Amino acid sequence: MARAPETSEEGASISVEIPQAPHALEIEDATIESRGLSIHYGKKPAIRDVSLRIPRRQTTAIIGPSGCGKSTYLRAINRMNDTIPSCRTTGLLLMDGEDVHGPNVDPVLLRRKVGLIFQKPNPFPKSVRENVAFGVKLHYRVSEAELDEVVRAALEQANLWDEVKDRLNEPALSLSGGQQQRLCIARALAVEPDVLLMDEPCSALDPIATAKIEDLMFELKKDMTIVIVTHNMQQAARVADCTAFLYLGKLVEFSGTRDLFERPQEKLTEHYITGRFG
Amino acid sequence: MTPTAAERKALTKGLLQLNENMVTLAELSEIAIRKAVDSLARMDGETPHEVFTLDQEIYALQIEIERTCGDLIALHAPVASDLRTITTSLKITTDLDRIGRYAKDIAETALQLPPGSTDWFAKLPGLAKMMDLTIEMVDTATDAFVRRSAESVRNIAEVDDGVDELYEDTFHAIVRYMDDESLTIEVGSRYILVARHLERIADHAVNIGERVVYMVTGERPPRVRAADRRAEAGKRP
Repeated sequence: MARAPETSEEGASISVEIPQAPHALEIEDATIESRGLSIHYGKKPAIRDVSLRIPRRQTTAIIGPSGCGKSTYLRAINRMNDTIPSCRTTGLLLMDGEDVHGPNVDPVLLRRKVGLIFQKPNPFPKSVRENVAFGVKLHYRVSEAELDEVVRAALEQANLWDEVKDRLNEPALSLSGGQQQRLCIARALAVEPDVLLMDEPCSALDPIATAKIEDLMFELKKDMTIVIVTHNMQQAARVADCTAFLYLGKLVEFSGTRDLFERPQEKLTEHYITGRFG
Repeated sequence: MTPTAAERKALTKGLLQLNENMVTLAELSEIAIRKAVDSLARMDGETPHEVFTLDQEIYALQIEIERTCGDLIALHAPVASDLRTITTSLKITTDLDRIGRYAKDIAETALQLPPGSTDWFAKLPGLAKMMDLTIEMVDTATDAFVRRSAESVRNIAEVDDGVDELYEDTFHAIVRYMDDESLTIEVGSRYILVARHLERIADHAVNIGERVVYMVTGERPPRVRAADRRAEAGKRP
């Protein structure tokens, strides 16, 4: 059985077992579900036999030390890992009950339904308006007037409209880091996704910009399922309804966030979140 | 962020300091009750003042513990067992402080009773039993905190039922003595207050026990009424 290294209070080296059957919260209505999902980069396993049901219209955080596979898991949901030649996926990954790797699934359409926000804001080198309109024009035929409405609605939904309504034709890169990140969220929202994946969305932002993104997440989860990967446990505790802890590619525990941080069921979780290893 | 090794070390150091202060607070509270009870039995006039001093020390230490807990929460954002230890310590200090206050009240009674009242103390065996049981409960609860043992306090509420029954018995015995005028209203009332203080100390010991169970296991034990507990016990074969 795999074991996690750790240091005891006295400094002596001890280890904790990775549980064979992880503690997992029962989820009735799941948007996303993985069943025995494993992902390899070449021969190196990144995700190992992870079964997880991600609840609809809630925020789920994925936490774990660097290299535990949390970003790999997140990117698997909208098949961003397809772009990595050595990446091989086995097991099932379902969205609304449909296999995302099924033969009839178009990855481009899948990514419309499943938006991804990256660690660093990555607006296109275009205007604010064109950034938000880009995906809409790609997927739909709309008039300029309709496009204006969509852009406005998305920017409002991302709590950015008031700050940029007079700068719509200015370069997106002239916005602050926090505004750029909310612009990326608006860009994802413009195509009306069902799921929003966020990979460390606030790690490059200051506390005020972070608070704005977190406020936004509370608003957005009324309409969509959010999955956030974060190194910041306090952020997970603040924004997430449920939290999954991954270690060495395996799911260790999936619990209600409050439970996980107050009384984790697995000793390994306890040791990780209290900083006894990792 | 998960704490770094250095942050973990600092948190561990803070938790050890907190634990040391909690152990001292528990010891002071226990000494205060023992001395308060002693002052009532001996009526020596000096022991109550020792209890008053202890009460001041308990209060000062409680404030220091509160500050330590505040610092640990603000600086380290603790979670899981660390957080439970800190929140439990915060709650328990209030119980221990209240125990110290009741000890002070009992000691004050020793000063207020007229000479010769010790005879009555001997004639109220329920009161002596209450004293023993209450001290034992505080001892068990604080020891469970120090040893992080949930098991030793699982049945503390049942012990408290015994204290409650003794309180009722003592109350009625004192009323009877006051009825037949062998005990003055003033002295009788003061003994009733002493019994009441002991009964409240026992309740605080139960609180401490419940919080230790939460600290150790993460479970919050349900609060069951004594009558329901007795009914449940009656059903057992």
